Amino acid sequence: MSNNLVDTYVLEVGRRLPKKIRADIEAEIRSILQDMLDERSQKSGKPVDEEMTLEVLKAYGSPDKVAGTYLGDRYLIGPRLYPTFILVLRIVLMVAGIGAAIGLGVALSQTIYNPYHDFQTVVTAIGNLIVTLLFVLGNVVLIFAILEWALFRADTQGNVKGLPREKAWDPRLLTRLSPPDQVKMAETILEILASFAAIVIFNFFPGIFSFGFGISGVWYIGMGNLTNVPLLSQAFFYYIPYLTLVWSLTIILDIVLLRMGHWNTAARICLIGLKVIGIMIAAFMLAGPSLLAVTTGTLTTMIGSAESAQSMLPILSQLVHLVLWLAMILGVLDVVRLTYRIITSRQLPFNIPDQNQ
Amino acid sequence: MFDFINTINLDILCITQYNVVYGELMTNESFENAILELRRGVIVLAVLSKLGEEQYGYSLINGLKEQGFEIDQGTLYPLLRRLETQGLLNSKWRIEADRPRRYYSLSAEGRVLLPRLKNEWNSIVLIMKKML
Repeated sequence: MSNNLVDTYVLEVGRRLPKKIRADIEAEIRSILQDMLDERSQKSGKPVDEEMTLEVLKAYGSPDKVAGTYLGDRYLIGPRLYPTFILVLRIVLMVAGIGAAIGLGVALSQTIYNPYHDFQTVVTAIGNLIVTLLFVLGNVVLIFAILEWALFRADTQGNVKGLPREKAWDPRLLTRLSPPDQVKMAETILEILASFAAIVIFNFFPGIFSFGFGISGVWYIGMGNLTNVPLLSQAFFYYIPYLTLVWSLTIILDIVLLRMGHWNTAARICLIGLKVIGIMIAAFMLAGPSLLAVTTGTLTTMIGSAESAQSMLPILSQLVHLVLWLAMILGVLDVVRLTYRIITSRQLPFNIPDQNQ
Repeated sequence: MFDFINTINLDILCITQYNVVYGELMTNESFENAILELRRGVIVLAVLSKLGEEQYGYSLINGLKEQGFEIDQGTLYPLLRRLETQGLLNSKWRIEADRPRRYYSLSAEGRVLLPRLKNEWNSIVLIMKKML
């Protein structure tokens, strides 16, 4: 019976350990517990029994505590990323809240005045706000948890992998960093938010990009229902996975930049890579089928005039082409600018000694 | 008036007694924590100093205890694993009387490090003697 207790205990500890080290630690704990039981048995002059085993196991500690001593500190979001996490979370939640408030205002303004409907609209908006905030919170936590795992996780031996060890910090950096090398925090955070919003909207709420009519007969951008006319075609949504990848990588790069506080060649090269991918996607979109789902027929139904619809459709198509060309041109200009920065960025006039030398 | 003064004196006495008892409890707790921190600083040196000869974990605990250095199993065994991964210790399993035991001993790197740690410890002791 006492052996069963020991085995059960050892298995419980092992269950809480990674597979790689489980068998080794289980064998060691079993050996230690046998030694402890032998010692107690010799001292007391009694054979090992259940009561003695229970005392030894109690003294050794709970499986959670024992397993914890072999694992060290584990974080979902560790101390190095936590300040950035809080900063991003505050901004994202604030923007989500403001967006929801604006949405509520628009929804109320588009309904005929009716206290019951207004109350219903407000209650629905509050519900949507709570859901949105939870959704945003979950996604931000997920992104940072992935970053923590990828950048700062410790292996089973307790050695921390991830970014290279920081060099010794030199206060002279504060005055010597030229403006182009400084990371503009507000701009970078806004880019994170915009990328995150784009990922969420295009992947989970594509129905926003549709036209419909409100009760008062006013057009609105809708959330997609049977009466709404989709604005963007399937040809556009084909590129969403690639755009999502670019936006996600942009978020990761921006977070790394926020932590570093300054640009370097590697970061600029990464950004050039992302810009090039963006230019290629825009080029494929331009060369491919139309990105618009509206047709002359659907426009006529909405506007009520076939003549206006016929003249409006080419304008909309040209507008889409213009946006894509603009995206490509701006992308090329960014690539040129970043390349120029890489070529012209000088070495700092002093060396920052490696802390570990 | 006399009763009022007596009441105040009683309050002062109670407050003083409460602070002495509670203050002592707090001091004891702080003392225990400070002792733990102090021991934590020397635990690696104490363990390495006993592993010039091969020992298994339980015998190491008893050996340290006999010399007045009490150490918890929950602290020692993870420490031994950590020192091994850092290359300061070697370990091997041996079967003795149908019982597998893991024996630890200093590695070549550990044997080089130990005298340096001892010298460092002696320097610290001298400095602390001057300060205290």
